[in-house]
Amino acid sequence: MMSSSSALAPGRAGNPRARYLPGEAGMWFFILGDLLIFGLYFIAYMVYRGQDSALFLHSQQQLNQSIGVINTLVLLTSSWCLALGTEAARDGKTAHALRLFGATVAIGGLFPFLKLLEWGPKLAAGHTAGENLFFMFYYVMTGLHLCHVLLGLVIIGFMIRHLRRNPLPDVKFLEAGAIYWHMVDLLWLVLFALFYLMR
Amino acid sequence: MHEYLRNPLTYAWALLMAITLVSWTLGRGHGAEYHLSTAITVGVLGMSMFKALLVIAYFMEVRLAPVWLKRTTYGWAAALLASLLTAYFLGAG
Repeated sequence: MMSSSSALAPGRAGNPRARYLPGEAGMWFFILGDLLIFGLYFIAYMVYRGQDSALFLHSQQQLNQSIGVINTLVLLTSSWCLALGTEAARDGKTAHALRLFGATVAIGGLFPFLKLLEWGPKLAAGHTAGENLFFMFYYVMTGLHLCHVLLGLVIIGFMIRHLRRNPLPDVKFLEAGAIYWHMVDLLWLVLFALFYLMR
Repeated sequence: MHEYLRNPLTYAWALLMAITLVSWTLGRGHGAEYHLSTAITVGVLGMSMFKALLVIAYFMEVRLAPVWLKRTTYGWAAALLASLLTAYFLGAG
């Protein structure tokens, strides 16, 4: 078993000041593209909000802020576990990494469950995407984000399988999967501020 | 377990959790107390973008990454905050 980061992260081990690209360049281009697209959605939301801020503010009050904040804490904690697990995998601590990856899935898996708990009563109360522009943005953007969450959970599942099957894991693959999950977390931080908190 | 507690990732996570609770306290409200507020908007958007930078720097490890990646990701957060605030103030005006 590779016991240190020396062979896995040469940029950092050989020279602490050297720059190290976590994950793979291809994943970073995908991430940057996704950030750009979501960024444009965020700006579009703000522009439309400015045209009818009273309607948006009124609609915003129908959301469940408690579920919003709990989901934020859930994603942050899952990201923390995954970052620690990635570091453990890089250091050859496979058992630690597997425990932390498992915790990531267990905690991150709460997000879709809570999202359904949030959407259900809203839809039952008649707050559908067709009600107004706020709810259209809300369902489309949180729905797109939820798809990212579900894909992220599948990716972490592959990371766990990879780590179980390979005594010398491909750390770049694990890092790339982790970066994707952190991006999902990052996007939610902005969604939470835009839909639940700002006035 | 103690090795996790001393890890910079844990400090970043604790700070992220704390800022989330502060921004939630600032932005929560119901009924008559729920009104348009520039101060709350600037506060919560500023905090969310600071949290985004923490996630990028620590969880995504961009603080150790090549300069091009730092500039692109930090630049994304800065440009997004500037654009959101500009759109907000143009809409408010």
